[in-house]
Amino acid sequence: MMFAIRKSIARRTVLRGLGSTIALPLLDAMFPSLTPIAKAAARPRKRFGAVYFPNGAIMQQFTPKSFGADFEFTPILKPFEPYKNNLLVVTNLTRSHPGSQVGDHAVSAAGFLTGVWPKRTEAEDVFANTTIDQVVAKQIGQETPLPSLELATEDFSGYVGGCSPGFSCAYMNTISWSTPKTPLPMETNPRAVFERLFGEPGTSEQRRLRLEKQRSILDSLADDAKDLERQLGPRDRGRLADYLDNLREIERRIQQVESRNVAETATPDAPIGTPDNFDDHVGLMFDLAAAAFQADATRVFTFMMSRELSQRTYPQIGVTEQHHSVSHHLNNPQKMAQMVKINTYYATLYAKFLEKLRSTPDGDGSILDHSLLVYGAGMGDSNGHASDPLPVVLIGGGTGRGARHVQLPVRTPVGNLWRNVAEAFGASVDQFGDSTGKTDVLA
Amino acid sequence: MVRRNSRARIGIGLLGWRLLVLCLLSCSMPGTAQDPPSARQVLDRYCVTCHNQRLKTGGLELDAADLSKIPQRQELWEKIATKLRSGTMPPPGSPRPDRATYNATASWLEAKLDEVPPFAGRPVLHRLNRAEYANAIRDLLDLRVDVNALLPPDDSAFGFDNISEMLGVSPALQERYLSAALKVAALAVGDPAQAATSQTWRVRQDLSQDQHVEGLPLGTVGGISVLYNFPLDGRYRFQAKLYRTNLNIMRGLQTAHQVEFSIDGHRVQLVSIGGPKDLAALFSAPTETGDAVDARLQTEVAVPAGPHTIGLAFLQNSQFAEPTRLQPFERSSVDNFDWAGHPHLQTLTVTGPFHQTGPGDTPSRKRIFSCRPASSASEEACARQIVTSLLKHAYREQPSSADIARTMSFYFPARKTGDFDRGIQAALERILASPKFLFRSEREPAGLGPGAIYAVSDTELASRLSFFLWSSIPDDRLLLLAAQGKLHDRVTFDAEVRRMLADPRADALVANFAGQWLQLRNLQNFQPNTDLFPDFDDNLRQSFRHETELFFQSVIQEDRSVLDLMTADYTFVNERLAKHYGIPGVYGSQFRRVTVKDEARRGLLGQGSILALTSHAERTSPVVRGKWILENLLGLQVPPPPANVPPLKEKQDGEKPRTMREQMAEHRTNAVCAACHKTLDPIGFAMENFNAVGSWRALDAGQPIDASGELGDGTKVKGVVELRQALLSRPENFVRTFTEKLLIYALGRGLDTRDMSQVRSIVRNAAQDNYRFSSLILGVAQSTPFRMSTASQVQQE
Repeated sequence: MMFAIRKSIARRTVLRGLGSTIALPLLDAMFPSLTPIAKAAARPRKRFGAVYFPNGAIMQQFTPKSFGADFEFTPILKPFEPYKNNLLVVTNLTRSHPGSQVGDHAVSAAGFLTGVWPKRTEAEDVFANTTIDQVVAKQIGQETPLPSLELATEDFSGYVGGCSPGFSCAYMNTISWSTPKTPLPMETNPRAVFERLFGEPGTSEQRRLRLEKQRSILDSLADDAKDLERQLGPRDRGRLADYLDNLREIERRIQQVESRNVAETATPDAPIGTPDNFDDHVGLMFDLAAAAFQADATRVFTFMMSRELSQRTYPQIGVTEQHHSVSHHLNNPQKMAQMVKINTYYATLYAKFLEKLRSTPDGDGSILDHSLLVYGAGMGDSNGHASDPLPVVLIGGGTGRGARHVQLPVRTPVGNLWRNVAEAFGASVDQFGDSTGKTDVLA
Repeated sequence: MVRRNSRARIGIGLLGWRLLVLCLLSCSMPGTAQDPPSARQVLDRYCVTCHNQRLKTGGLELDAADLSKIPQRQELWEKIATKLRSGTMPPPGSPRPDRATYNATASWLEAKLDEVPPFAGRPVLHRLNRAEYANAIRDLLDLRVDVNALLPPDDSAFGFDNISEMLGVSPALQERYLSAALKVAALAVGDPAQAATSQTWRVRQDLSQDQHVEGLPLGTVGGISVLYNFPLDGRYRFQAKLYRTNLNIMRGLQTAHQVEFSIDGHRVQLVSIGGPKDLAALFSAPTETGDAVDARLQTEVAVPAGPHTIGLAFLQNSQFAEPTRLQPFERSSVDNFDWAGHPHLQTLTVTGPFHQTGPGDTPSRKRIFSCRPASSASEEACARQIVTSLLKHAYREQPSSADIARTMSFYFPARKTGDFDRGIQAALERILASPKFLFRSEREPAGLGPGAIYAVSDTELASRLSFFLWSSIPDDRLLLLAAQGKLHDRVTFDAEVRRMLADPRADALVANFAGQWLQLRNLQNFQPNTDLFPDFDDNLRQSFRHETELFFQSVIQEDRSVLDLMTADYTFVNERLAKHYGIPGVYGSQFRRVTVKDEARRGLLGQGSILALTSHAERTSPVVRGKWILENLLGLQVPPPPANVPPLKEKQDGEKPRTMREQMAEHRTNAVCAACHKTLDPIGFAMENFNAVGSWRALDAGQPIDASGELGDGTKVKGVVELRQALLSRPENFVRTFTEKLLIYALGRGLDTRDMSQVRSIVRNAAQDNYRFSSLILGVAQSTPFRMSTASQVQQE
């Protein structure tokens, strides 16, 4: 059986250096004995998350008026004020832009974490860029059962005619790409997320048997694939090769789970299905992401809170017109006020997740202390589908000390920030999409 | 992909597009294929004025084009043929040849283009999508699974989710297929180790529960009816929860009601709720009272393993009177603060099994266990027989001895540690996880030149047919004919296609082809504004979809002309829908066929499904309706709006409300917008008598509807009836679009110029049979791309 840890991370090296083979997560008690170097290596950037909201924002109510350390929180950012110990608002980022406006909603979703303008196609030849979460996952995701977790709330399978003209639905169905050609499907069913993270509910013995069974099946599937391969044309063989690589990846994952004591892993209650209420659904997805961090089932996640062009209404906050319609506010003050309500509402839902991370101890601090979390969108002002400035705020210990509002030069490609993020996680990236350099907001 | 880079889809520029529409709507050009000696002269006289080497209008240099090499420049000439067939060129105002010469030239060109060597194309390794997986499990194991819970959603392209290019792989996907294999095998064989699990069904909040729900016992109202696979013989707990208002007050307790739990239509429990006692408690302690009522709504029953229909409904209460309301709505749940009226079910949960007593005698066990070992000595032979049969159906061909050995190697150890059934279960897990089950693969014979065209094997043809017509695996008869090498025989083949169309499994064409072509699947996301459309409820939404599905199904089953989809004088309604349409004398939740007397309601354009899914939440959208018709019925790609289009102006406070037409007129004063909207909008305007939920209306914003319009070419239409006549004045355009969509769906790939001669030929042949549904299905099934494949180019990608 193939089993490969492609990358190793600094912390593991440190632990080995200390002659330790202790499994993650670290015990609280261990920290005081660690050397300062070990501490520096182990935190604060242990985990990464990127949370996306659709249909842009009212930027005047998002972007703080002043810059530097003592800026005043705007209405949309207000829910984040409790986290101002480690918070960074970055202004003047732009996503890549071809010069004319086509398929803006698809491009916003597909362009945000990729830093590119995705190839215009409705078909097989989708092409964007490896996203920052996947770059980070390659760096820090190999020691957990799941290198990364991709979440969403809207299942658009079979939905046709609802994507941007000229662009494949794949561009709008995910914000995460493992290669420029591979959009990663986002899971909308909390139950399925739960099972991916913690396996099917059952006794520890049942779960151990299931893992064993899966492993023996996986071991033998390569033979079937080889039978097929002999008869196939070159293009089919390419897809089959991906299939085989993926089998090994799953095997690696199973080995990861087996290497922990399955019986000891505390799992939260399995959700029964997909709630039909947006608050509950978003809350459950965030809870699962928090549980995944806590159990160290993954260290990287992306979450598209809702999909671009979303036609959701939010009667719970008094917005009965659809999200996308409201986003084209025509500078009508009433509509803009509705849009601010929606933007603030999303921020409030996200803040609940931040609170959960802050209240979960992790080593010498909280999970939030050891995370770098991006919150933002690939669209600025929604009325004209603005590609800049984008609403972006970073929160968590990984952002450094205090609250800052950094003004970058106008139209700084978002790839510049992702280069910065990549380096913060120890990955060296010379070019990220259309980057023209590298920001230094994460020193 | 063969020659991917040279692939160019038929595209029409913004300007040409508008012109093309004019003619598609109204030009009539029956053609006969005569060889005009003067094709060159026609071109020289009417085309090269603009399309010459100097002006290069539209990038065309027809003065330099070599007419003896048309097949060599297929892409170019297909575009020109499209313009001619639709009468787009020369543009209105420019001189044209007389109709006979024009038609003769078009036919001559098409005939030349049809001389190109046939093109087949090649699907890439195709992962079973959700629908195919669910149907394959159904046909392999006689087991219906909830595939949305098992597998992640599929991406779609060209309007369909069975496009092989999009059915790729990722670790997360493969993991789900692997875990699905274990779950399905346990359920099918009846693994006694299956732990108690729970499954919850939610009722949409906007489902009105004061009327009978189809599938539930007569004399009941509201509730839910679901088919559930009970994993084992054993006891199961049923728990219902009722809706509460936004202030957490349970609805419907002021009158006594009785709630019935049923299994396969037989009552298993009756619970009383509401009445004076509950009502009194409700006022003093709303939350606790609601919890207490929910706690009563449970029961535990012994249920045999296998599929059973679970029902929960409220007994019709003769004493119940709807509280007096100023304006009662059809939707019983419109007010989130209203605690009066009927109780509403919110969720139904089944948990179990508890105290399981065995796997029972389920349809899937009957299907799997084709033999039972009489003694331990005969076990291996029986296992081998079962495994061989499962493999043959799952892999869609005769399994190799290696396949059997590999699968048996999972049987043996599991048999050793468990019983015979566990051995079979382990073998089944292995089969369902195999790429040979999960991928539709086709062999590429050795020794073919790059790009060579060859007939696929009979086995592969059997799979192509079954996935096309059934979205599923081939049955025994198809596999047998394939194994005997008889399937490619034309007579046998045609007979098989007809047999398959008559089979209930052909309903897959309704769910998967029509559901996507007509975008019916999007209806579930249609949520009109409650303030404006307080009557709209889920009952109506479901009825919309059901009507169009039954309607499409009738065209298949009665083998009608596909033109009937546009013009039929019948449809299917239940009471709710009949009321919506104003059809008298229809009572009950059951659908039945009725004659459509109102001409405006005939065919798809009069059906609520289409009218609603082309509307916004607050209003109709003539643009979306126009676009939907052009793209889905006439096969034209509507270009996206140019940058920075100013949206419609909102009504300001104090301003007089304006009709949709008035608002749009403003929109069209912009010359850039007008270019397209001049063509799009009149189509939508003609349908303005149908509001956003498909009700007939005479007024918009207090003014009479003006449903008149001038289609781009000057044809004046007023209302949907005349619009339909104009759309069908050249029926080939509708049939060609239908054929293109069907071919995309059948092949699992997008079309390009090289496929156009096939499309033409299918339409031409079907015309002789009045475009009967079977003539188009047969045309697709007999076409070169369906029966053949193109060998890969050497070493690429």
